[in-house]
Amino acid sequence: MGIIDVFDGREDHILRKGEECGHLSCNNESLAGAVSQRACVYSGARVVLNPVTDALHLIHGPIGCAAYTWDIRGSSTSGPDLYKTSFSTDMGELDVVFGGEKRLASAIRQLAARYRPPAIFVYSTCIVGVIGDDLGAVCKSASKELGIPVIPVRSEGFRGNKNEGYKAACSALFELIGTEQYTPKGRYPINLLGEYNVAGDLWMIEPFFEEMGLEIVASFTGDSRVKDIQRSHTAKLNLVQCSGSMTHLAKMVEEKYGIPYRRVSFFGLHDMAFALRTAAEFFDVPEIVSKAEEIIARETARVRPEIDAHRSRLEGKKAAIYMGGAAKAVSLVKGFEELGMSVVIIGTQTGDSDDYKKIARIVKDGTVIIDDANPLELKELLIKQRANLLVAGVKERFLAYKLKIAFCDFNHDRTVSFEGFDGMVNFAREVDISVNSPVWTLPTLRESPLTQIVPEERIREARPQEARANV
Amino acid sequence: MSDSYSNVNPCHMCMPMGSVLAFRGLESCMPIFHGSQGCSTYMRLYLAHHFREPVDIASSALSEKGAVYGGSANLKKGLKNLIHGYKPKAIGVATTCLAETIGDDVGQIIREFQQEEPLARGLPIIHVATPSYRGSHEEGYANALQAIVQQTVADLPPRDRLNRSKLYRRRSNSSSLNLILGTAVSPADVRYLKSMLRAWGLELDVTILPDISETFDAPLSPGLSMMPEGGTPLADVARMGLSRQTITLGGRFQESSAGAYLEERFGVPNTVLPLSIGLENSDRFVSEVERATDMALPREYELERGRLLDTMVDVHKYLAEVRAAIFGDTEMAIGLAKLLCEVGAVPAIVATGSKSPGFIEAVRSISPGSKALAGVDFSDIQAEVKKSEIEILIGTSNGRQISKAERIPLVRVGLPCSDRVGAGRQLTIGYEGAGRLLDTLANTLMEGDSRR
Repeated sequence: MGIIDVFDGREDHILRKGEECGHLSCNNESLAGAVSQRACVYSGARVVLNPVTDALHLIHGPIGCAAYTWDIRGSSTSGPDLYKTSFSTDMGELDVVFGGEKRLASAIRQLAARYRPPAIFVYSTCIVGVIGDDLGAVCKSASKELGIPVIPVRSEGFRGNKNEGYKAACSALFELIGTEQYTPKGRYPINLLGEYNVAGDLWMIEPFFEEMGLEIVASFTGDSRVKDIQRSHTAKLNLVQCSGSMTHLAKMVEEKYGIPYRRVSFFGLHDMAFALRTAAEFFDVPEIVSKAEEIIARETARVRPEIDAHRSRLEGKKAAIYMGGAAKAVSLVKGFEELGMSVVIIGTQTGDSDDYKKIARIVKDGTVIIDDANPLELKELLIKQRANLLVAGVKERFLAYKLKIAFCDFNHDRTVSFEGFDGMVNFAREVDISVNSPVWTLPTLRESPLTQIVPEERIREARPQEARANV
Repeated sequence: MSDSYSNVNPCHMCMPMGSVLAFRGLESCMPIFHGSQGCSTYMRLYLAHHFREPVDIASSALSEKGAVYGGSANLKKGLKNLIHGYKPKAIGVATTCLAETIGDDVGQIIREFQQEEPLARGLPIIHVATPSYRGSHEEGYANALQAIVQQTVADLPPRDRLNRSKLYRRRSNSSSLNLILGTAVSPADVRYLKSMLRAWGLELDVTILPDISETFDAPLSPGLSMMPEGGTPLADVARMGLSRQTITLGGRFQESSAGAYLEERFGVPNTVLPLSIGLENSDRFVSEVERATDMALPREYELERGRLLDTMVDVHKYLAEVRAAIFGDTEMAIGLAKLLCEVGAVPAIVATGSKSPGFIEAVRSISPGSKALAGVDFSDIQAEVKKSEIEILIGTSNGRQISKAERIPLVRVGLPCSDRVGAGRQLTIGYEGAGRLLDTLANTLMEGDSRR
């Protein structure tokens, strides 16, 4: 008997800290038929690259892959918005039979003339990998003809999981880096990696770096321009937030350009302070270090009362975390600590064994750790662990709601920014208004004067363990 | 762009998406895509945004190995796991581009699976070919409906082998009707049809396919069943070959047709009508049911019809000569165009992303002055909007960029509606649906005027 027994072959992907000392199986193929919450290689590449606001993102394949990824993500822009336009070669049957290279070449030419983008990313989809279109060759000759970077993104959906897509995106970005000369404005230029400016997150943290005298050359890739990416080799430090998607790039850049990287997170008061200190200590200039401390003290004092007010309503509540990447999950554990909440379930779609070791270190005994979960397992665990809140993405939202469990969207679809000091206030409020909403206490069953239906609440009191699972 | 090598902001979705809308309208039917993991996740996300419901779609999760050596093992494993996990009463297998291109024989794989796997004995597994490069979600939907009927009613002897007179006797005694619905109907639309038929006393005689009234808009209830309640029972589908008549609402522009199949193979006459949007289209449906059953429309619906007329009179001045651009699924767009004409508004642009032959002629037959566009994307639609002095946009939420750029209000109708709530409760068909739409259109215009 495992913690829950839903699918054969998934036992090794779920463990409970403290009780079992087994090794968590992860970063392998999803189980067919289990309704994994993961997407594909293309999806990984798309989320990383799409926030480059002035690039033209062209999907080479039939319409579906473009249709479902068009302008539904929350990455904001302060200027150009070409990234919100969907471009697809919309391959038809003839293209599949005779090859899509000609169509792709013509599409690139036509779109470049019409939209004049500074660069084009060309994503391959499943079918391109099967029929064997030579994306590299088409892009190379288009690039030569048009005089702009036309970069192939090798993102055939079936070639692995989302992690492979991150790598494909990193390779594409790496091709751009260093292709434009630039002299940074000051002596302390940095890049932010794995910062996607979801709901304007970047704008919540940018002012503090500026206040410290640091210049952000490029943010990868939230609210970035192609030229920012091209100039990013002139930075002296890379701060890596979403480590799952961007560590690969950070390592390549370190090797080629000698720019070191540090892992940080901008979520939560603790992690935000740590991020500012990390940057300050890297440059080791007294004024920057003292400025960082000044900002941390000032901002923390400013937002503390509001966070404490939410905390008083949240203390002791139980949270479940299910994230795409591990970095966000780890940061959330600390975030919930700041709100006085405990974490009873934590899982990711794409964490690797190092990530899970780190997670296992920071969560309390009794917490269930799960890799590549599916709706059936999430449902069982949410009931069994008696979670009050699930933090995840849209696919999981309505599962939680149907179980009468509060929900907080921490994914790309959210519309509220969570980073930096004010972001933590927003997060605390989001959690508070959902966990403490009156909707959860409305009677699911009406007590009828005519029938003997026992209200759900009474059943739960009588049999707390099974009640929610079985009624 | 029609003269172009690319699609810029799509006004249609892919074929497997349509199959889910059909399969999810069967009782306890779990869809699975044969392809890579992303397809199912993306469409789950898209449908969750629209319906605000959990939508589970399994995947055979094909990897590189599967793509090279064939996906049979993955599909069988996927089927086994989903039967074990979800315990469905039926399974709908739809192919993706990947599976179609590597050339897996899905029918054969399923036959083998049903022989090899004890769990699968007696469990209907319906399969449909839905490669994205061959059509839009509308074709996928039509293909899936036909596959459902074809593979469920297949046990009956075909028409030429039946004793004609016996069949005729059975059919003329039969009071059952088939009601096959096109794309873009909402759960509320299906609920409306069901309550109308109930009031008519016909609820036991009519098989509605597909029935998404509960499956995509489930009430919050104690405990959560991973297979939502509701949907057309397969046992009812199995009897569709014996019905007296089929009424198909919508679906005129796709090659596949469950109704046409039933007519051809079992001799069930198929009456194809436009989706019941607007007065005349609703009248046509009601009259067809009266003709088929010899039973008059219940009085409460006659009153509703009267209220629609009253609404039409109330709003006619607000909507007179208002120029609208309509976009979305074929039948929905045509139904909306008809409704606008009925109150004196002008459907200046009527567009669909599906490359449907016959769509343009159908639009012209309703409204000769309209600019009809098929197989277009939103960049084409925007270009037309710019030169057509449009005052209101009506269609899916994907029109929001045009709405913002051109500063024209968008009334959201159809799928997807990802940035507003209530898609599952939006009623557009029947007398009541038409009335509500007209209220919304008039109010939207008045809201704009009051802000000026």
